[in-house]
Amino acid sequence: MLHIVDDEEAVRDALAWLAQSRGIAARAHASAQAFLDEAGTRFDDQGDCVLLDVRMPDINGVAVFDQLCTRGLAARLPVIFLTGHGDVPMAVDTLKRGAFDFFEKPFNDNQLMDRVEQALALSREAGGTAAVQARLATLSAREREVLDLILTGKMNKVIADKLGISMRTVEVHRAHIFDKMQVKTAVELAGLLK
Amino acid sequence: MSTFAPPARPFRLGGPWRWLLPLLLVLLFLAVLLWLPWQARQMESNERQEQLIADTLWVEQAMRFQLTRNEDALLTLRADLATERRDAVRARMEQMRKNSHELLRIDWIDAAGQAVLSSGADGAPALAPVSREAAELARKTERPRYSEPYSQTKGAPGLMDYHLPIFRDGRYTGSLVGTYSLKTLLDETVPWWFAQDNAISLIDRDDGAVAQRAAAGPGRGVYTHKRALDLPGSTLRLATDSVKGAPRLLPNLLVGSVIALALGLLASLIALWRHIARRLAAEGALRQQMAFRTAMENSLVTGLRARDLEGRVTYVNPAFCQIVGLPADELVGKAPPMPYWAPEAMAEYQQRFADVLAGHIKPQFETIFQRPDGSRVPVMIFESPLVDSKGEHTGWMGSILDISEQKRVEELNRQQQEKLHASARLATMGEISSMLAHELNQPLAAISSYTTGALNVLGRAADEGTGVDAALLRPALEKAGAQAQRAGQIIRSVHEFVKKREPVRQRVDIANLLAGIHTLIELQARKYFVKIETSVPADLPPVSADRMMLEQVLLNLTRNAIEAMQEVAPERRLLRIAAGLQHGQVEVAVSDHGHGIAADVAERLFSPFFSTKAEGMGMGLSICRTAVEFHGGTLTHRENPGGGTVFSFSLPAQQ
Repeated sequence: MLHIVDDEEAVRDALAWLAQSRGIAARAHASAQAFLDEAGTRFDDQGDCVLLDVRMPDINGVAVFDQLCTRGLAARLPVIFLTGHGDVPMAVDTLKRGAFDFFEKPFNDNQLMDRVEQALALSREAGGTAAVQARLATLSAREREVLDLILTGKMNKVIADKLGISMRTVEVHRAHIFDKMQVKTAVELAGLLK
Repeated sequence: MSTFAPPARPFRLGGPWRWLLPLLLVLLFLAVLLWLPWQARQMESNERQEQLIADTLWVEQAMRFQLTRNEDALLTLRADLATERRDAVRARMEQMRKNSHELLRIDWIDAAGQAVLSSGADGAPALAPVSREAAELARKTERPRYSEPYSQTKGAPGLMDYHLPIFRDGRYTGSLVGTYSLKTLLDETVPWWFAQDNAISLIDRDDGAVAQRAAAGPGRGVYTHKRALDLPGSTLRLATDSVKGAPRLLPNLLVGSVIALALGLLASLIALWRHIARRLAAEGALRQQMAFRTAMENSLVTGLRARDLEGRVTYVNPAFCQIVGLPADELVGKAPPMPYWAPEAMAEYQQRFADVLAGHIKPQFETIFQRPDGSRVPVMIFESPLVDSKGEHTGWMGSILDISEQKRVEELNRQQQEKLHASARLATMGEISSMLAHELNQPLAAISSYTTGALNVLGRAADEGTGVDAALLRPALEKAGAQAQRAGQIIRSVHEFVKKREPVRQRVDIANLLAGIHTLIELQARKYFVKIETSVPADLPPVSADRMMLEQVLLNLTRNAIEAMQEVAPERRLLRIAAGLQHGQVEVAVSDHGHGIAADVAERLFSPFFSTKAEGMGMGLSICRTAVEFHGGTLTHRENPGGGTVFSFSLPAQQ
């Protein structure tokens, strides 16, 4: 989902139309605050990306970016700045601090859309990693030990010996782990955590 | 009259003499006045005294003459005693007594003192002691002799004896004795006119009166004289005492009136004196005032010119001479046409002169004067009626200001203002152009996005071999067109603004004016995200103004208003432009909710080069005010009741 944050309606509308012409789902936000209220509540499987206008009446683009960083959303919401005339040094500074890219108006639209797609892919990836990490966090300490041994390719019996528990208990742990990590096979599990 | 000569100073006694001399004269006059009557009195007194002495002498002479006559008669009688018969002697004695009443008796006594023959009232009395002494002395000295005066009894009339000793063959045989009544002597010898004025007395050596005649009463004791009768053997003296008193000091009206006149003279002298003193003081003050006035007139840079009712010049001051380049003596007394009238304005002068003769005058007007070298001087003339001390209108007094310098400065100012307008316009343009770059980006970016998107759709349709959905493309292209329009409008409005042209007054409709620059105001407002609210009544009359200047004023005011609000909360950032009709004036008010204007800033708000902004030139409001005033309007500011400031200008509405 492409989030377009610009106070200028014409620009907002035109960018949304451009994104649609490239088959990218877009959502326009009339103000920075409206966007911030919504940011982080829902992520798209296809990845998310923000087109942020630097000059805005309520909160300027850099401030919005700073908020996203503090809320830890920067990775899931890569930011592409749209700057007006004379804002380049500021934009470069944000790049150093982790912004995805910046475009000075007027820009080449399809190049912008190419970068948007790359940003979406990055977000998607970051979204995957984040999900795995979240699932790992639900495992108990014993389950993490069992998981580590499974990832080394050990059989249930070897694991039971190593941990001094019964085979039966290992099987229960294994079932819980597959369940929590939302996988069906050990190969799939290894793919997720590689 | 251009120079003032002080009047020649008359010769005057200087210093204290001025007062002392008249004072001394007056004192002298008074002294003489007092001395004269006294002197007159003294003279009168002396005269009377002398008169008395003379009269007394005369009486004495008369008395002595009488006595001498009697002596002679007795001497003759003595010579005849030896030869004459006794009867004859007696008869001669009787005859003598008849002739001289003062002879009380005549006795012939022998050497023993016994009466031989007597003629008199009663028989021969014994001789008084003083008489016997006299008789004795007469016998011894063999010369006739008078006795001291005596009286037979106390209080009786005084008597005096004359002893004529008789010798025969060198032997004393007796004496002839004549007894005088002193009272009778006085009565007989003193004339009546003398007795009328004087008390006459005969006194003995003790000053005791032995006989007295005082027909007019006792003497006053003022004029007296004593004179010895010089009778052998007697010390009898004649004393006179006038009945007249001392002359009075102010004996008559004459002296009184002279004194009264003198006092009157003195009083009037003092009055005159005081009047002169007052006059001198007034004269001094007047002279000082005159000198002060003259110095003032000479030091003035304002020309002064007085004219009489016929328009003839009666007075000019040096400044006036300098303005017209002519000396005073060539101006005073001149009647129109004046030598400093410029030929091209002759009709104007004549008209004004005719007005002056008719008695009405313009109190203030501008005209030109010509100098002898042909150069022209623009002047401002103020005229007022000249009224003399009696309150009569005698002419006109005009003060003339040389305003060529003022005109030059005005012209210079005007040129500078024009330059400032131009540079301010450029400064405004500089600010606007930077916004313009940003603002043009928006529609251009939008157009670009719309067209790219449209191309993408077309490209995809071609790839997939499907038909193009026109309904999908149309709105995007329409929007792109609208954005292109918007960009054009921005550029056009800036172009209009930058176009340089001469100020032209035309009918300007405020609503129309605002519509024309609305885009520019929006450009300004957008930078700080300020909302704009405009209200113009539909029936607002137009104004006559230079459109571009008004636009500039409005843009200046809106920019200031917008910049004033950059620190306030965004929802309060409201720029309000309201027009309305008030007292025949079209008022346009630009209000903001900004930080307002501090008192110290307000004071200098309209002064050039004053700015509260770091990059400000301080020309904006100064130029705005000039521009508004150029149109006959006013530019003011006041506090906005809802916070912030309201700047408003009003221009005369065009009918």
